[in-house]
Amino acid sequence: MRTVLCYGDSNTHGQIPGGLTLDRYAFHERWPGVLDRELGNDWRVIEEGLSGRTTVHDDPIEGPGKNGRTYLRPCLMSHAPLDLVIMMLGTNDLKTRFHQPPSEVAMGIGCLIHDIKELAPGPGGHVPEILIVSPPPMLDDIKAWAGIFRDAPQKSRELALQLEIMADSQEVHFFDSDSVVACDTLDGFHINRDAHEKLGIALAREVELIGWK
Amino acid sequence: MPDMRFAPPNPLRIADRASGLNATSVRSYNERLVLSLLLQNQSTTRLEIGERTGLSAQTVSVLVRSLEQEGLVAKGEAQKGRVGPPTVPIVLNSEGAFSIGISVGNRRTDVVLIDFVGKVRFHTTLANPKVNRSTNHSEFLNTIRKAISMLPKKARERLAGVGLALPYSFSSGRDQEGYFNALQIEIEEHLGVSVFVQNDITAAVSGESMFGVAKPLSDYMYFYLGANLHGRLVLNHQIYNGNSPLSFDVGMAALEKELAKHRQPLEPLWERTGSWPDYGDLLIAWEGRLIDQMAQSLESVSQFVEFETVVLSSYAPPEICGDICRKLEAQTGVRAVAGNITPSPKAVGAASLPFSSRFIVE
Repeated sequence: MRTVLCYGDSNTHGQIPGGLTLDRYAFHERWPGVLDRELGNDWRVIEEGLSGRTTVHDDPIEGPGKNGRTYLRPCLMSHAPLDLVIMMLGTNDLKTRFHQPPSEVAMGIGCLIHDIKELAPGPGGHVPEILIVSPPPMLDDIKAWAGIFRDAPQKSRELALQLEIMADSQEVHFFDSDSVVACDTLDGFHINRDAHEKLGIALAREVELIGWK
Repeated sequence: MPDMRFAPPNPLRIADRASGLNATSVRSYNERLVLSLLLQNQSTTRLEIGERTGLSAQTVSVLVRSLEQEGLVAKGEAQKGRVGPPTVPIVLNSEGAFSIGISVGNRRTDVVLIDFVGKVRFHTTLANPKVNRSTNHSEFLNTIRKAISMLPKKARERLAGVGLALPYSFSSGRDQEGYFNALQIEIEEHLGVSVFVQNDITAAVSGESMFGVAKPLSDYMYFYLGANLHGRLVLNHQIYNGNSPLSFDVGMAALEKELAKHRQPLEPLWERTGSWPDYGDLLIAWEGRLIDQMAQSLESVSQFVEFETVVLSSYAPPEICGDICRKLEAQTGVRAVAGNITPSPKAVGAASLPFSSRFIVE
């Protein structure tokens, strides 16, 4: 039995595009649920998706709980041993309040990779496999969120390349979600049920491609 | 002093997102390691690559992604296993790279263009270049230029290089390696493409081992049947290259002499069309002499090394080669297989040189 941790933000949580705060897809509809179904009985999928999660920043408005770095260590330790950590983060770092270029967001992801390697929560105290997934780029029309995410759509389109460079540099797996899904037009930065299904299936194939003995 | 753990990313990959092939000089050892496995096997998986190279799954993932983006490898068709999820093999992308092979033969020069999996996309024969011994030869340049100009644009952009296979006679009386190196540098300077020069028989072995029947073999005796009969020994995938000029006059030139005496048509011998008229007893008698010579060579070599297989390459018709193999096998008890590289084993072998030089690690 293998264990995979899905560490992400609202698009891992299953936030419904254009919905209210508490609107969330059911487990079997969210990509971690789809991944669970696709990988079958050999795998246990753990969901850790929090709306508003950043890579390494305390959010001055939403609060320090959204900091993806401080939560990561206790989270990894809670769920260890982990064979694989899938991380899809970065969109919230593009909020106006953080003033981050895409390359700095990738530095944040690099920092999380570093923390995982240092903690080594894999089987036998080894480093688990790490799969970085670049978040789907935001659409140009992000409705009422345009102020909170000023200039973010443009930056979000550059994020995949920066994340891939970071993944290559740290020698971890990488997948560009833009190759299979796009954000829903209802709010321009959340993925819908159909996209969750496609992403879950694509990631299951990526997980299998890693090759497990 | 910044904390170097958080220095700017320094990617392991060298592939960028530009189209075309990366320069040889920047291809990493590990990328070549992965390509070697693919060129030496039909297909592989990331798990297998990891097991055979000792690289971590994550490192293999980075390398494979890089090669995918460069267009050199692609995902194959998913294979259903008995247990577990289907495995998706990694295969070479046939359109990923192209190579030109030029073989200067006894009578004519063969030019081929092959794709990354060794398929001949184009073949032509030209008159032999005239060699002027004092200046290293513009005729080669013209032949190569002509070959390149015939390529489709796509292949030109992804050309790994040009392989030039020369018979022993072109270097006779001089140090072959030095001569080939000088020639290579001279042609590269003129044309701006990578050129690889090698002895033609050795090139033919390379082709057979990369793309032909010898792919799965590690130790074997190789015969090339051209105007003369030539031999090479391959041990642990390495071609033992003694630069031996030794060849035996029992090849097609010998057959031609016999046929001429009996006023038989000679032209079919040198065609690459793949069929000969019925030469009757003359052919059988020649085959007998040829096989005796091969058996004798085998016997001498087997005093020193053990091998299980003999490979015979030739541009002679496949049924003739098959027949010779069957008879040789019956006479010696050693498994004999006919090469399956057509239409010109030496030219295809020459074309394999840029691939092996650029993509394979020893």
